[in-house]
Amino acid sequence: MIHSLFLINHSGDIFLEKHWKSVISRSVCDYFFEAREKAVDPENVPPVLQTPHHYLISIYRGKLFFLSVIQTEVAPLFVIEFLHRVADTIQDYFGECSEGIIKDNIVTVYELLEEMLDNGFPLATESNVLKEMIRPPTILRSVVNTLTGSSNVGDTLPTGQLSNVPWRRAGVKYTNNEAYFDVIEEIDAILDKSGTTVFAEIQGVIEACVRLTGMPDLTLSFMNPRLLDDVSFHPCVRFKRWESERVLSFIPPDGNFTLMNYHVSSQNLVAIPVYVKQSISFFETGPCGRLDITIGPKQTMGKTVENMMVTIHMPKAVLNANLTATQGTYTYDLTTKVLVWDIGKLNPQKLPNLRGSLSTQVGVPKPEDNPSLNIDLKIQQLAISGLKVSRLDMYGEKYKPFKGVKYLTKAGKFQVKMLCTAHFSTNWRSEYI
Amino acid sequence: MPYLGGEDTVRELRRALSNPNVQSDQLRYRNTILKVIRAMSQGVDVSGLFSDMVKACATVDIVQKKLVYVFLCSYAALNPELSLLVINTLRKDCQDPNPMVRSLALRNMTNLRLPSLMEYVEQPLTAGLRDRAACVRRVAVLGWAKLHNLQPNSEIDAAVVNELYSLLRDPDPVVMVNCLRALEEILKEEGGIAINKPITHHLLNRLSDVWGQCEVLRILQRYRPQSEDELFDILSLLDASLVSPHPQVMAATLSLFLSLCSGLPAVSLAALERVRGPLLAACGSVSRELRFTALCHIQLLLRSLPGLMGAHYKRFFCGYAEPAYIKQRKMQVLVELVNDDNVTMLLDELKGYCTDVNTDTAQAAISAIGRIGRSYSDRCLEILTGLLALKQEHITSAVVQTMRDLVWVCPQCSDTVCLALEGCEETLQDSQGRQALLWLLGVYGEQVSSAPYTLEVFIDGVRSEVSLGVKMELLTTTMRLFLCRPAETQDMLGRLLHYCIEEEPDMCVRDQALLYYRLLHCGIEETQKVLQGRRSDPSLGVLIGRPSEPISQWACSFNTLEPLRQGTVETDSTSRGSPEHVTFEPKPNTDLSDTLNFSLTLLLFLGDEKMEEDYMCLEEQIQFPAIPHCSPQSLQAAMQLVNIQTLAFTPPHTLPWRVYLYTHTQHAGDSPHITLILGELLYTGEANQRAVLKKALKGFLSILTTVLHTLSSERK
Repeated sequence: MIHSLFLINHSGDIFLEKHWKSVISRSVCDYFFEAREKAVDPENVPPVLQTPHHYLISIYRGKLFFLSVIQTEVAPLFVIEFLHRVADTIQDYFGECSEGIIKDNIVTVYELLEEMLDNGFPLATESNVLKEMIRPPTILRSVVNTLTGSSNVGDTLPTGQLSNVPWRRAGVKYTNNEAYFDVIEEIDAILDKSGTTVFAEIQGVIEACVRLTGMPDLTLSFMNPRLLDDVSFHPCVRFKRWESERVLSFIPPDGNFTLMNYHVSSQNLVAIPVYVKQSISFFETGPCGRLDITIGPKQTMGKTVENMMVTIHMPKAVLNANLTATQGTYTYDLTTKVLVWDIGKLNPQKLPNLRGSLSTQVGVPKPEDNPSLNIDLKIQQLAISGLKVSRLDMYGEKYKPFKGVKYLTKAGKFQVKMLCTAHFSTNWRSEYI
Repeated sequence: MPYLGGEDTVRELRRALSNPNVQSDQLRYRNTILKVIRAMSQGVDVSGLFSDMVKACATVDIVQKKLVYVFLCSYAALNPELSLLVINTLRKDCQDPNPMVRSLALRNMTNLRLPSLMEYVEQPLTAGLRDRAACVRRVAVLGWAKLHNLQPNSEIDAAVVNELYSLLRDPDPVVMVNCLRALEEILKEEGGIAINKPITHHLLNRLSDVWGQCEVLRILQRYRPQSEDELFDILSLLDASLVSPHPQVMAATLSLFLSLCSGLPAVSLAALERVRGPLLAACGSVSRELRFTALCHIQLLLRSLPGLMGAHYKRFFCGYAEPAYIKQRKMQVLVELVNDDNVTMLLDELKGYCTDVNTDTAQAAISAIGRIGRSYSDRCLEILTGLLALKQEHITSAVVQTMRDLVWVCPQCSDTVCLALEGCEETLQDSQGRQALLWLLGVYGEQVSSAPYTLEVFIDGVRSEVSLGVKMELLTTTMRLFLCRPAETQDMLGRLLHYCIEEEPDMCVRDQALLYYRLLHCGIEETQKVLQGRRSDPSLGVLIGRPSEPISQWACSFNTLEPLRQGTVETDSTSRGSPEHVTFEPKPNTDLSDTLNFSLTLLLFLGDEKMEEDYMCLEEQIQFPAIPHCSPQSLQAAMQLVNIQTLAFTPPHTLPWRVYLYTHTQHAGDSPHITLILGELLYTGEANQRAVLKKALKGFLSILTTVLHTLSSERK
């Protein structure tokens, strides 16, 4: 199925290759480089390319291309998901997925790839199972390894592979038994010029950190489970019980994992936490324009909005910005034409405001595209959809675990379209001649 | 830098590897091997170290073993003789008490892929199939597939195949799936693994991990249930995976659903409704590649269920930072979802995309507006005209091309288009845009007052013109303009023809010029017949939306790479030449009489390449009783019942009243081609047909007759 994998960095060097069947020459990547050049921006490279003898399916993650070479017709979703799994595993092992970290841990990466795929077929992709076979590097262990010369390969057979619960290993022991759940929600929204919502949805995820002895069976229930539209679970969750009772019943994997992803897409349920008053205008005569932005809280359920940041992609014609901010700092990048305004905490008594003039290029037609404004924010201890965990019960073990739930709301793709007005002033002289 | 200094590195590494001091210190030895692997991954040719690395293989350190194996597997093909030395160590490892070591040895033994070593590998592999550790069995099963790939022509050992079949019942789910994979490869010649009822149900009840599940579902597509009861049992079993959170499982399940229910369209449609949620969720996924693939598959689904995503159109609005390939797909979907309620919002959104930084995206947005313009022409033309005022080169070009395509389908827009054309020739630079402008000037020359002056600029610059297409279009346009405004054009036509015949180096242009020259000799009426024969009929109203296709049309390409490729075809169509060259129009029947009969002109062609020689004109007489003016909707509905699609028709109460119809034969097993039948229904006149492909045609006609009879009897 998956014949070979090439890892290619931002500047187009192949720095890792792995073949699961016969060796395929690097020259197959030339087709990819051609497409890469044509696309200008690396993000715009189409994920599937066809060459005379192969298909190239690639994903772009953390400024790296994961390029797989395939010889026969395959299900594209299968390959794309697998490549993401490879990237996820690397991220999980080393904390980030970048060229430097992969080069530093090249041996572990080779080992992982060897275990994840055999003859082109996915073999072990569950991170718990992999971690038993190949231990992730920690500072302590790498020090110990250098001193004693021992390896980071487990000497025992991974037990999880043979148990009935493939995601959990048997014989887990902790002195402190604890289960933490983080409910993290991201708001994706597009607001139009007048501030009304064009599109809004919430992407939620429940991250869990479970360190419990033995084989606990957990049940997590919500105050208002009907809110959730599309849900997707970790394989450990019993789907039948969710369908009938709307509770999450599961035997958790050991350690960190994503319990569940969900969407809330009905628009009237999505609260928009801030409002933006903005105007940007350009004058027909003279090389300048004016910008005025004010941001205020809207539906925050009494919590404070933190880490506010506003990013505006300016029209190409804008040369420089001369602005004053009542709160926070702003920077304008002259080459990329991106204006970033870092506000910080939003104070409802004194609303932050950014205003001033923009200098534009002379002789260039007035900016044609309406700039859009991207907002980044964080609200602690609030799930903006109103989702609340009501209780967590444990069965199958005797001890009393320590439990905790944290809520966090972030802005995902939160975009406000700007109202761009051009002021046409009459040229009196031409009128009268 | 990777390719430089390779030789020095190799020499240094060899010295270190053969140094006894290094060899005795396990840590230093391993670090040296690490350097070799690192050099290998940077593209340095380290194959010269092969013999030193073989020696390093004999160790108790598993990590060192793994490293050496990575090296050996990459370079074994270059050193088959030396590889023989490794086999002994590997065979010894296969007896190791640690199952990890056993599976590692077995896997790498098969990964060496040397035909010369086959005899040494078979025995440990056979033993591996009966190993008590599942991880060894997993490797051994796939090992047989690798062995078979090495020598695809060799005899298949029946004993091994039997053993693999029996391992399908292994308690470990991965061993089971690996068996399926191995058997698929080994038995490729015989059409893959034989799927019968017990195996099917065994597999279905043991769906395990995500990847294996996809594999099983794909292979099960070959199974045909024996009874309807069994079919529905299987479907109920699969229901949970149909709404699986993993998009790859969902897609594989739907694919199996569609192949199982090919005879039950209603069930298939219900399945499509069921996957709407998961598909939409995949469209909002973090991974852009996943979003893209999901979008492509949604496009397939929309072909059969145009209303599927109607309420969710906002999900297909583009984000600012999305890659161009996603934006373009989203626009294609948006065009399909347009209706009276959302058209204002959709157009507003698309208008925003027209000024995208990426020129391809901007042009795609403009042509999307053009597509919507076929149903909502006034609003779209307003936007398109507005875009011309920006005087951006690529935007103007795309707008003019879009207007040309729009005018061909909706001739009633021609007045607005002609007004908008003034002055845009200054901004147009690329050949496609100029070709479109020329075509419009030729066809609507009498409505554009400045047309001859624009042409004159073109003709004066013809010497420096490089594009062949523009030159040919220029010839045709000047000829057409000459026919409607001879006084202003005669002089420049003469100059153009003179240049093209006397000085032009390209044969095509010269031939065309000669053709026109001789045509003019035949007289003005002949010329008019040739050059102004084809025009679209302004009284034709185009039907809004696309008729839904049967699912079987695309079911086989679902969950393959096919739908991901189709985008390129669609973008090609925007760069094509004038619409008249591609639009296929049935020949209108000219002799009209007052009898209330329908005449039917059928044109039929096969394939798409040699259309000219392959298409045949068939006519046949059918007598119908008079049908009172029935509403177009009822006619269309009646026709769709029997799978005849209506392309277009004239408004009621106009004479002659025409309907254009088409249908195609189903993909029957014996005929490789799909026959496309185009027909024109004329409210007056008589019909006569010369049937050639009688079978397909007779069927079509008899059905058509029945429909018309039914319609008329209803009216009585």
